[in-house]
Amino acid sequence: MSEALVCAERFSYAYPERAQPGLCDVSLELAEGSFTVLAGASGSGKSTLIRALCGLVPHFHGGDVSGELSVGGMSVREHGPGELAAVCGTVFQEPETQVVMGGVRAELSLPVEHRGHSAAAVARSVEEVALALGVAHLLERRTDTLSGGELQRVAIAAALVHRPALLLLDEPTSQLDPVAGDELIWLLRRLNEEWGTAVVIAEHRLERCLPAADRVVALEAGSVVCDNAPADFLSWAAAAGGALATPVARLFSLAGLGPLPVSVKAARDRLRDAGLAPAASSPADLEAQPERQGSSARMAPEERRPPSIFSRRPRAQPALELRGVWHEIEDGPQVLRGVDLRIDPGERVALMGRNGAGKSTLLRHLKGLADPTRGRLETAGPVALLLQNPGDYLIHEHVGEETGTRGLAAAGLSERAGASPRDLSGGERQRLALEVALGDGPGGREGEVSPLDRLGGCQGGVPPLDRHYAAVCLDEPTRGMDRASRTALAERIAALARSGAAVVMATHDTEFAAEFADRVVLMGEGVVIADGTPSEVLGGGWHFSTDVARTLAGAGGALTPEAGARMLTRELIS
Amino acid sequence: MRGSLVPVYRSRPSPLHTARAAASAGLCASLALVCAVYEHPLVLAAVLAAVVGAGLAAGVGREIARAAWLAVPLALLVTLINPLVYAEGETLLVRGATLLGHRFDITLEALAAGGLAGLRLGAFTMVFGLASACVDPDELLRLFRRVSYRSALTASLATRLVPVLARDAMRMGDAARCRAEPPGRLAVTRAAVSGALDRAVDVAAALEVRGYSAGGRPERDRRPWSRHDLRAGAGAVLVLVAAVAGRIAGAGTVTEYPGLDIALGPAELALAACVLLGAALPFAGRATRLGVARV
Repeated sequence: MSEALVCAERFSYAYPERAQPGLCDVSLELAEGSFTVLAGASGSGKSTLIRALCGLVPHFHGGDVSGELSVGGMSVREHGPGELAAVCGTVFQEPETQVVMGGVRAELSLPVEHRGHSAAAVARSVEEVALALGVAHLLERRTDTLSGGELQRVAIAAALVHRPALLLLDEPTSQLDPVAGDELIWLLRRLNEEWGTAVVIAEHRLERCLPAADRVVALEAGSVVCDNAPADFLSWAAAAGGALATPVARLFSLAGLGPLPVSVKAARDRLRDAGLAPAASSPADLEAQPERQGSSARMAPEERRPPSIFSRRPRAQPALELRGVWHEIEDGPQVLRGVDLRIDPGERVALMGRNGAGKSTLLRHLKGLADPTRGRLETAGPVALLLQNPGDYLIHEHVGEETGTRGLAAAGLSERAGASPRDLSGGERQRLALEVALGDGPGGREGEVSPLDRLGGCQGGVPPLDRHYAAVCLDEPTRGMDRASRTALAERIAALARSGAAVVMATHDTEFAAEFADRVVLMGEGVVIADGTPSEVLGGGWHFSTDVARTLAGAGGALTPEAGARMLTRELIS
Repeated sequence: MRGSLVPVYRSRPSPLHTARAAASAGLCASLALVCAVYEHPLVLAAVLAAVVGAGLAAGVGREIARAAWLAVPLALLVTLINPLVYAEGETLLVRGATLLGHRFDITLEALAAGGLAGLRLGAFTMVFGLASACVDPDELLRLFRRVSYRSALTASLATRLVPVLARDAMRMGDAARCRAEPPGRLAVTRAAVSGALDRAVDVAAALEVRGYSAGGRPERDRRPWSRHDLRAGAGAVLVLVAAVAGRIAGAGTVTEYPGLDIALGPAELALAACVLLGAALPFAGRATRLGVARV
């Protein structure tokens, strides 16, 4: 690292027609070859800072600027994004809207052609960046045939094809599944280490990128509130309430251990040094010790049938029951292959599995958006479904038109009824879309009133529903959410479950599943491959596991920082 | 895009796909020129046959069939509307009623004129379908960027946004079905359209950070002409020359009113043969068997 690539001095910015500044007195210097993570809650100014660094602020968005910000020696006040693009490449959140051309090769050629390079230079740049970023096999593909992860890699390649010194990324993993997200972070790490490209990344899932970072800048209401090395940042975050602390850092902090580790590896090393390293357990261990886990072995091999519904204790009428449900595409794959599943009222189920495992299709069946090609599906009443994109539910000009006063109150948006849904944060949109899907409008709707609603009234400060749902299904609801939004969503889901609705959530977010669910159903290739409590399914997993479980090697089935800290404290006392 | 009536380009190892965009687009443009210049049924039928034959040979038969789903109703519509609008012609087929002082008679000539106009529109649509399925839009836009940089880039953005917006609309339709009280189609359409504006702003921002405002023009394509380029180019030239020469020679004349008169002689036959030959030329010789790389 050497001289400053980015230099900000009391830089402030306000979007047009907004009273609150997007950035407020930001002063920082970023060195060449550095890897910087921008942390902060939704709306803290991370995206605005990224947009200022690439020149979109103020040239594209307009607004008022004060102070100074220079990138590669060019002031962003005088130089627009076209000129700054020579120094920095930028990648945004949404993979689909970053790709301009129809083919990958044309997409990668475009930035260098813009700079008037010769055909030979363009061809060489494309070849080199494609090989360096592992997208050479995609060069002849059409962009509309790529997955989200592939599109995001192509977007990064397009941002780097002219070899800028700085790469800016605005929550690049928020729309990706965990595997694609982790691959992307490893790619950035390699770029930074092997080619010395400076990286600035805004990200909510800090546990992913802190091990690669050498600096963390935390923002709050547009101001820099912490600018430190990752370990020091974690100490600050733990002291500041833990909203920005990683799960492993929270585990150590709650257990009173220090210093706080940046990665799972560092955490395990420190536990080992302190003589607290727990014995490792694996899926095989879990199978071998059913009595310790309190149930039969759940991590069944594929050839073994999923646990029989009759092996469970007799229960009341289920909220949902699937018997041998198949979804076979006429000229395509079998998405669901004889799924048997019974979910009781009030159960909170996390549906997990890799992309294409059949999670979303299963939810669409539950709602009635798709019909089984074979098998039976029974529900005890209406089913609500929140699909992956909450914005798709918001079709009016004002928030208040989307749902009634009760729905607004449940979403915590009573004060924002006059705002445009487009101005809401990701978390707010998600909460509003959930209320829209639940149809909690003014004056009530026809339908049964939940007995629990009638008895208990408002649970957890959330107004009761007029309509009783047998199940509420959510498809990837925590994508791109900060911790505060996830907590608010978890509270709403808990209230729905208390009202008697089964809650089924398809998710890749193991941390959220560990906190929210009382049952985890793991799917693979259209069948249920594991079904049990979160500790049973996530405790001994490798990929489907939480950071805390990895740190503690699945010991005691502890998944959350709180449970892990309790276990560690017991160990320390003993 | 699944289900779309407009064929979408997919890279394939066919001579028409492998030829440079200038050559394959030139062939499609010359076929379109024939549709624009001639109304003769034999010539238009030759264009249709050329499109179907070239499509099948290029492995895009399914895409051409999809284009036909668009072309046939359009052609039928024009065929049926024309005799209702024009009552000229000597051969009365149906004596219609009088409505608002206008008598709706249907004549053979008006029906034939409608049929020819429909055939022309259908052939034109099919040529467009062939071009959409076989000509790489990126390469084509790259050609146009040399002429009109910003217009071509705007066009490329528009073509890129079409499938994105179609997917958005499909998702919004599903979300509407998930609402406790599904909204009307109009509300969903309005939301999809206003969402398109947001999408466009996002794509414009992405373009800005890719250095769009630097405004450099791509260099001229200096690749040597491959045998596929040469054959497709020769086909385009053959059809173009035949069309122009035929027009100068007065071939393919059709008179609909007052009496139907369709010329049919060696000139028309030769023109139709040239159209078929021109479309077949790219597929002459040994077929490309491996890979999709430009030769």
